[in-house]
Amino acid sequence: MRGAAVACGLVLAAAAPCAGQTHLVIVSGLGGDPQYTEAFYQWGAALADAASKLGVPDTNIFFLAENPERDRRIAGAPTREEVARVLSRLEGKVQGQRSALWIVLIGHGSDRGEPRLSLPGPDLSARELGQMLERFSGARVAVINTASASGGFLPVLSRSGRVVVTATRSGFEQNQTLFPKFFSEAFSGTGADLDKDGRISLLEAFVYARESVRRYYEADQRLLTEHAMLDDDGDGAGTDQPSESEGDGVLAARMFLDAGVLPEAMVADAELAALLARKDSLEARIAELRSVRGAMAQGEYEKRLEELLVELALVDRAIRERGGRDR
Amino acid sequence: MRKATGFAGMVVALGLTAAAPGALASQSRLDSAWQFLARGRYGDAEDAFRREMERGSREAARGLVLTLREVGRYPEAASVARRAELWLLLGRVLLDQGRTDQADSAFRQALNQGRADSLQAELQLAVLELERGNHAVAMGLFDRFVDFYNRGLARTSEDLAAVAAAARFLGRSDPQLFKDALRVYDEAIAADSGNTAAWLELGEMFLEKFNGTDARATFEALLRRNPRQPGALYGLARVARFEGSREAEGLVRRSLEVNPNLARARALLAEILLDRGSLDDARVEAGRALSVNPREVDALAVLGAVLLFSGDETGLEALERQVTALYPRDARFYARLAEIAARSRRYDRAVALASKGVQLDPQAWRAYAVLGINQLRLGQMAEGRANLERAFAGDPYDPWTKNTLDLLDVLDRYSVRDAGRFRLAADSSEAELLYLYLADLAIEAYDSLRARYGADLPVPVRVELYSRHADFSVRTVGLVGLGALGASFGPVIAMDGPSARPAGEFHWASTFWHELAHSFHLRLSEYRVPRWFTEGLAVYEERRARPGWGANVTPDFLLAFKEGRLRRVGELDRGFVEPEYPEQVLHSYYQASLICELLAAKHGPEVFRRMLGGFRAGKSTEVVLREVAGTDLAGLQREFEQYVRTRFGLALSSISAGGGADRPARSPAEAIAVAASRPGDFLAQLAAGKVLWDRGEKGRAEGYLLRARELFPQYGGKDSPYWYLARLYRERGELERAASELGRLTELDASHYEAWLELAAIKETLGDLRGAISALEQALYVYPFEAHVHVKLAELAARAGDWGRAIRERRAVVALGPTDMAEAEYQLARAYFEAGEVEAARRAVLRALERAPSFREAQELLLAIRAARREDGSG
Repeated sequence: MRGAAVACGLVLAAAAPCAGQTHLVIVSGLGGDPQYTEAFYQWGAALADAASKLGVPDTNIFFLAENPERDRRIAGAPTREEVARVLSRLEGKVQGQRSALWIVLIGHGSDRGEPRLSLPGPDLSARELGQMLERFSGARVAVINTASASGGFLPVLSRSGRVVVTATRSGFEQNQTLFPKFFSEAFSGTGADLDKDGRISLLEAFVYARESVRRYYEADQRLLTEHAMLDDDGDGAGTDQPSESEGDGVLAARMFLDAGVLPEAMVADAELAALLARKDSLEARIAELRSVRGAMAQGEYEKRLEELLVELALVDRAIRERGGRDR
Repeated sequence: MRKATGFAGMVVALGLTAAAPGALASQSRLDSAWQFLARGRYGDAEDAFRREMERGSREAARGLVLTLREVGRYPEAASVARRAELWLLLGRVLLDQGRTDQADSAFRQALNQGRADSLQAELQLAVLELERGNHAVAMGLFDRFVDFYNRGLARTSEDLAAVAAAARFLGRSDPQLFKDALRVYDEAIAADSGNTAAWLELGEMFLEKFNGTDARATFEALLRRNPRQPGALYGLARVARFEGSREAEGLVRRSLEVNPNLARARALLAEILLDRGSLDDARVEAGRALSVNPREVDALAVLGAVLLFSGDETGLEALERQVTALYPRDARFYARLAEIAARSRRYDRAVALASKGVQLDPQAWRAYAVLGINQLRLGQMAEGRANLERAFAGDPYDPWTKNTLDLLDVLDRYSVRDAGRFRLAADSSEAELLYLYLADLAIEAYDSLRARYGADLPVPVRVELYSRHADFSVRTVGLVGLGALGASFGPVIAMDGPSARPAGEFHWASTFWHELAHSFHLRLSEYRVPRWFTEGLAVYEERRARPGWGANVTPDFLLAFKEGRLRRVGELDRGFVEPEYPEQVLHSYYQASLICELLAAKHGPEVFRRMLGGFRAGKSTEVVLREVAGTDLAGLQREFEQYVRTRFGLALSSISAGGGADRPARSPAEAIAVAASRPGDFLAQLAAGKVLWDRGEKGRAEGYLLRARELFPQYGGKDSPYWYLARLYRERGELERAASELGRLTELDASHYEAWLELAAIKETLGDLRGAISALEQALYVYPFEAHVHVKLAELAARAGDWGRAIRERRAVVALGPTDMAEAEYQLARAYFEAGEVEAARRAVLRALERAPSFREAQELLLAIRAARREDGSG
């Protein structure tokens, strides 16, 4: 998924890699039943594995789950205190726009006036999590609450510069969610790279999980009982149809688990850097053209689009021929 | 919803004042007489009233008239009423016999006497004005009752009921007044819960406003007091009809046992008989009703339907003239006749008849509804909607109208596309996909059936595929809950789309073929084809279209045959509308299809055209069979039985009830023991095979399954031995054998979705590319919404160099709206490019790259397309 402004993608004219550090906190909450405990663990573990494979340093991954002894990747029990401790440790490490914090909550939720995630011991409320996150006010933060009845987290946590994803649109959707399964799968599978740029943005993962959930219910001839929402413009009102180009979705389209770092050799190659700059320029022009599509005749639009796409294809080919990679 | 109040405190008010001991004794005897009447002891009531009448009691005379009237002895009742100068009652008894002029005089006499019942007489006179077509005069008279009520002049229960009735008539112009009528009926019943007429009218009003629940409660409340009350039994029979219950006939016959001259009940019985296809019986019953009351509208409508269905147009025209003379501005006859005509699929006549109705009475809301619904069935969408809008404005209580208007809003969002002679409508979200298959299928089916029947259908044939079964149900019967999969109205076919039901539950393509066959049958018979014949023939046509299409034989069908539970040929229509056991509808479809097979085998398939021609001429099944097939119903029955015995001989002998094989085994050991003791029992062998399969003892299961297959080789159900054996052989790696089992299974049951997928996979492994492609093609006719099936078929087609099919399948993937649309468009572009459709390839790859500009494979394809276009000079 492309970000319209390509803030931290590949505008890399001989510059230092702009990718920062991603820190990932996964909380697989209280299962209450062996079947759920196992599912929450599996989904969390799959996401941790995927992040690791995408280049997130293991030291940046904090996986909290029940029965920590079962898996050395588990950093601790999924208690409210442990969540607070982990986030406290990250203070100072996550700051500014070059680093990002992803918090993924998996489990059972509830909302009896105050939205909560069910944890061993005291539950974690949206308000408490919000307080824990205040220390990261200048950083890029994404909270992905994949639990049932998670919709109430969105308005509480929404603020400028923060992505909030919930698996349900309200606290009334209380059935166990499938969103976390497919959200994990988005990073470990092959189908979520919708723009074929070799990277999975948070927006792409959201779209992939949302659509996978919908298809699952359709195939099962059941009514959809979870409607995932995303907010990243800070207005507290999420949408189920975020867009990379405007409103909710713009920020999520620019958040990636992977670092997006180019090899040093590529950065040092001036010709390659020029090609990459050309590529970015073409991509920006394509995005611009798409934004005015409605005002153009179809034939004219296709003609101009084709010209740009052909040029981009040739540039990408040249990048590959120089031993580089287009992404 | 309202609940009818009970009869608490129901004591007939007789104005007991201080009286002499003799008078008190007389009053006591009268009380008893009234109690007899109230409880349906009509003989006792008559005796008691007569004795008191001889003592000079006018009240007893009134009781006697009511008693005689309730049991239908109208002439006697009139005579007593006349002698006792009970003019209002006399008028009502005369109305029961349709003698309106004399009734009019009696009501005027009652009015002139200025007695307590003058308000009721005035109401009756207003009703007579309405029947004469003097609507303005009648409405003016009804209006006065509102004043009477507001001025407190309606004090008795009878007067209040008269006010309620007036409000009910005024509701023609202002539907809100039905609520007032309801309230005043409540007051009337509160004033005297023994006012039977008020209860009956209230129940009627509920029925008129399609409120079966409250109508039932009202009539049942009356029947708790008097289980023989003929009006209440008749009312409850109508409720049963409204609810689609089979109780109706029993109830109406009970009503007629008490009052054999209750003309409305007689008319209802006639209509029930008519719906059963017993035209002669219906004519007799309608005649009986009309001999009592020549003005009985429902009986006239049934008689009209009998004339219509027998092709007696001259008789029908004469009847229409007669009815118009009786009711110059009354649409009821036409609305009722149109409804009956539509139930027999005479939609064109229903439209014509309902049109006459609304011309006679512009406030005939029911006639507008019937008109609109049937216009929609004929594909006259704009006209139908306009008339339904009119109907709804005048009567917002009609759920049929309301549901259908809501459905039209849904249809507005459907995508409509023309394909050959067809106009296809489907939910926009799936139309693109369905058109890929439906358009070709529709054209193939049309050409095949056209060749068969030597006729064309009027164009366009409108096909509506509903994504929600409830919408299809409303389209077909106005209400939700219909069990069918499809319906043909002739020029319009409505059916469940494949998304309306779970995958594998039905075969949408064969359903379409079936419905299109109906359209030809309706056309060729001019809508006179009997239900059994068109259903049987349509299933037969399905079977001709592809192996495994159409209903197939089941163990329970053979058991029903052996036990004599199938309908006889002569009453097979009833198997569809009045099943005697739940499965009889499905059995009747299959039975009818076998009869058609038998007819085709014996007389050649051209027999069907001749039979349809016979029905078009208004001939009965019996006559058509005699003329065309040289047999009669009894003869055909014998031939059918022989045919089944010959065709399913071994299977028939292997199916039996009892012995434990027809119920789930309590344990695997029991199933095996039963199978061992009954080696010739199909169900026992299958049960043992299944139970061992479920326990993972597949090797042991094989013997039982093979034996079951041998006993009943025609069985292709979801749990047929073929299915288990195929999977067993596949697991063993015996792919040829597995493919053989699946091939035989799908030839018997093409709706077995999993079997098709399994067969395709095996065929592919065996290197039989064409076989794999063919199996997947058939799977799509069952369920076309699984992207992976389309992807697989596209890949197989590409490997076979079948680029046309590959393109269609890649288009299908795009139409399914996958999350990874860039990939889907790219694959489509590749297929186009390979097929040499460079321009289409260019557009598709641009769509892919528009979503994913850095999509490397798509970029390379774009460059290749560009080079190709340069080469041929188009780029």
